[in-house]
Amino acid sequence: MSKQPPKLALSFLRWFCKPEFLEEIEGNLTELYEIQHRRSPWKANLRFGWNVLKTLRPELTRSLFPKYPINPITMFRHNFVITVRNFRRHKSSFFINLIGLSTGLASALLIYLWVNDELQMDKFHANDSRIYRLLEHVDEATGMKTGTHSSGSMAQALEEEMPEVEFAAAVLGPYDGITLSTGEKNVKSNGRIVNNDFFKMFSYSLIEGTVDNIWAEKNSIVISEALAQNIFGTSIDVLGRTLKLQHNEEYTISGIFENTPSNSSEQFSFAIAFEEFATQEGREHLLSWGSTPATIYVMLRDGVKVEDFNVKISDFVQIKREKEVRFRTPFLVSYSDYYLFGNYENGKQAGGRIEYVRLFSIIAIFIVIIACINFMNISTAKASRRQKEVGIKKATGASRFSLVFQYLGESTLITAIALVIAVGLVWTLLPQFNIITGKELNLNLQSVEILTMAALVLVTGFVSGSYPALYLSGFKPAAVLKGKVSSAGGETWIRKGLVILQFTISVVLIVSVLVVYKQIEYTQTKSLGFNREHVMLVERERPDNDMEHLDAYIEELKAIPGVINASTTGHNLSGGVWGVYGFEWEGKDPNDNTHFEHMAVYYEVLEIFEMDLVAGRTYSQEFSNEQDKAIFNEAAIAHMGLENPVGTTIKFWGREKEIIGVVKDFHFESLHNEVRPMLISLRPGNTEQWIIKVKPGMERDVIAGLEDFQQKNNPGFALVYSFLDEEYQKQYVAEQRVSVLSRYFATLAILISCLGLFGLAAFNVELRTKEVGIRKILGSSNMAILRLLSADLTKLVLVAIIIALPISYYLSSNWLTRFAFAIELEWWLFAGSGLVAMLIAFITVSMQTIKAAGANPVESLKEE
Amino acid sequence: MKSNSLGEFEELVLLMVAALHDEAYGVAILQNLEEKVGKKVNISAIHVALKRLETKSFVKSRYGGITTSRGGRRKKFYVITATGKAALDAQYSLRTSIYQQIPNISFGR
Repeated sequence: MSKQPPKLALSFLRWFCKPEFLEEIEGNLTELYEIQHRRSPWKANLRFGWNVLKTLRPELTRSLFPKYPINPITMFRHNFVITVRNFRRHKSSFFINLIGLSTGLASALLIYLWVNDELQMDKFHANDSRIYRLLEHVDEATGMKTGTHSSGSMAQALEEEMPEVEFAAAVLGPYDGITLSTGEKNVKSNGRIVNNDFFKMFSYSLIEGTVDNIWAEKNSIVISEALAQNIFGTSIDVLGRTLKLQHNEEYTISGIFENTPSNSSEQFSFAIAFEEFATQEGREHLLSWGSTPATIYVMLRDGVKVEDFNVKISDFVQIKREKEVRFRTPFLVSYSDYYLFGNYENGKQAGGRIEYVRLFSIIAIFIVIIACINFMNISTAKASRRQKEVGIKKATGASRFSLVFQYLGESTLITAIALVIAVGLVWTLLPQFNIITGKELNLNLQSVEILTMAALVLVTGFVSGSYPALYLSGFKPAAVLKGKVSSAGGETWIRKGLVILQFTISVVLIVSVLVVYKQIEYTQTKSLGFNREHVMLVERERPDNDMEHLDAYIEELKAIPGVINASTTGHNLSGGVWGVYGFEWEGKDPNDNTHFEHMAVYYEVLEIFEMDLVAGRTYSQEFSNEQDKAIFNEAAIAHMGLENPVGTTIKFWGREKEIIGVVKDFHFESLHNEVRPMLISLRPGNTEQWIIKVKPGMERDVIAGLEDFQQKNNPGFALVYSFLDEEYQKQYVAEQRVSVLSRYFATLAILISCLGLFGLAAFNVELRTKEVGIRKILGSSNMAILRLLSADLTKLVLVAIIIALPISYYLSSNWLTRFAFAIELEWWLFAGSGLVAMLIAFITVSMQTIKAAGANPVESLKEE
Repeated sequence: MKSNSLGEFEELVLLMVAALHDEAYGVAILQNLEEKVGKKVNISAIHVALKRLETKSFVKSRYGGITTSRGGRRKKFYVITATGKAALDAQYSLRTSIYQQIPNISFGR
């Protein structure tokens, strides 16, 4: 016989052709092939394929579905009944699975809501894809800093000189605690100073007034609906009414905008015009190219590539400053992406909030996986109980596919029940979750959410059901019905692997929680170089350059009972405020543009903060010309490389200043950062807050006294105060949240894992009841049996710990690198976590084994 | 019974089955038809026509013996039935009777 026809075409034909015709058709096609093959093998192949394709006719192909289908509804009902009966018969494993899956799904849902909200942040602007934020790389010669602010003139200059720019907005602020008043009514509010383009560019929709003429009149103010409600009790007919800002200038309301949505990173209640504000006398620096007070947003025209545009504007500042400043390189980043990707290190994008989004997504997936593993392990461990069912079904002609379908249906059903419970859990936990995360999340069951949940159920059901389904449906009916318990080695191996995986994840989570907790504790207890206890900060409301006034006020404050000392400061040591450059000292590298933090103080501020002096003295009223003196921190002295700093003269913004003192380094920023160089200068004009040292326990009296003080000296302004240690905490909000959340989720993970372990232990014990009975009769002690029964599972946990520790070491040391000042990773952190996991697992297992070991052997052996 | 009309191609296949008598199977029908009609015919068209003829019970079929060629597949032979013959006769007499009504037309070359 000559050559065979092409295999692929042949098997295709065999697949689709009606079986009753196949004999004839295949025969005919093959015969034709053989005839043709003698003439041209190549053509014969082609011809055969063509003929096969031509055979694809409705009359000749078989139906996709069997000719006599099993009634799907009956089958479905049957499967459903079997499933429900099975749940009822094995209540304990049903509840273990249900609890595991529902808590797992609930945490996944919560995390989904949070992640989704984070990802949607700032995306609501209609022109989102074209709105950018302008940042500046600043080459300080000692490193690249990325500045978030730019010069006030930048917006206008870009709009006028760059044809690619459609709108450019300059924004000053946020200004918190601004008092707006009408008549007797005073309201504290927060606002922005924005230029003409701001409302054109962003989608903060105006309810009253139009984008084109809100800034038409001088002294216009645009307020939010909520603020209008708050001040006037209504948002209707308030256009044209007037408001006083800080009891000073009067503004006319020219527009009302919808409250800023919760998914906007910018939250503000009023806005006034930048063009007007910045051109007033004494505010020249706002428009100067030398300073960077404004946030700049740019909206490019359709089709402009931001990469090209960035190249074009890279020397924009340089040109504006006539080549004097070479080190500022402006560039644009997507406005809505900036929220998640806001960190820059040495001129490169380096994560940001996205890291937490990723972290929690991973945790959610892990928790669901742990719950799925419970289901897999318990179902396969109990497989022997369902072998008969499988055997009979197969013997009566069930295909493997229909069995797989049945078990997947079972797991999907339990997941669906779990989801209902999970939704209930999310519902009740959401308010609490919102407090922890500081968000306003809702579980509104819209089509997107319902689709997501359906997908979640299907995926979870599939993952948890896949292995049991394949395993159970693989039994050999003959062997099973004969009573042979098939127990392949591979099956227990997989189950063990899954337990190890579960506990590895749990241990990693425990270690992470401990590390985060220790680091937070460290930030709370580390000596910062100043005393933040019992220090109150009070808003001063107006700048005051008159020293005699200040002295009088301070005397008044000191007279309040409970006040130990009082002064005024421009820096509350809870985060960087004001960076300055332009120092000149002997031996300075001319390219060095390092920003020094500038702390404006008045007399006695250093004493209130209880800072240590390394050399020299602090500012004192006993000396004259103190405003021409300077105090630096150690970091600044080290940066300038001065040997004997006290008495040395440096130049700052063209004026000579004599160094009179050096303070020991203290942490004026969070511990994420190294201590940067700092200048402390006596500049009462730049101070903003009263700083008051309070006698412990006298806080209430002091606040009462301050109320009177405020009434008398700042009538119409509500008293705004805070405590320094609270302000300090605010720097670690993100870490606190992570700490709390990870604690909850880690607890959950280990609970679910233990639930699964509990189920497995219960089953193991049950299987070995007879063995235990015989061993006891032969003289085994309770302890020996306990050891025997517990060993298997605890060994697995031990392996998990060994795997988990290096992973968690890697992860936590990675996390700690974001702190300049971090805890040491000590061995006991890991040993402790391992021990805890071990102990929890052991207790879980022994709850079952102790019962079995103590049982009377007669009970287990009397039957059969 | 469904419409027992004969399509043009079906009629040709049925004629060929009748003509080949007892030796009519797919490839034989194909080769003879191609020879008579003088153009390429695809085997699958013949398969379909045979299936249709069989459901109309114009032909019946039987399997031949196992052969070494054809990939070991048996031939399926078709024989015309009495109904099939009657249908052919009816078609034939219909055509002839109408044909005979044609007046003697001359196309005058």
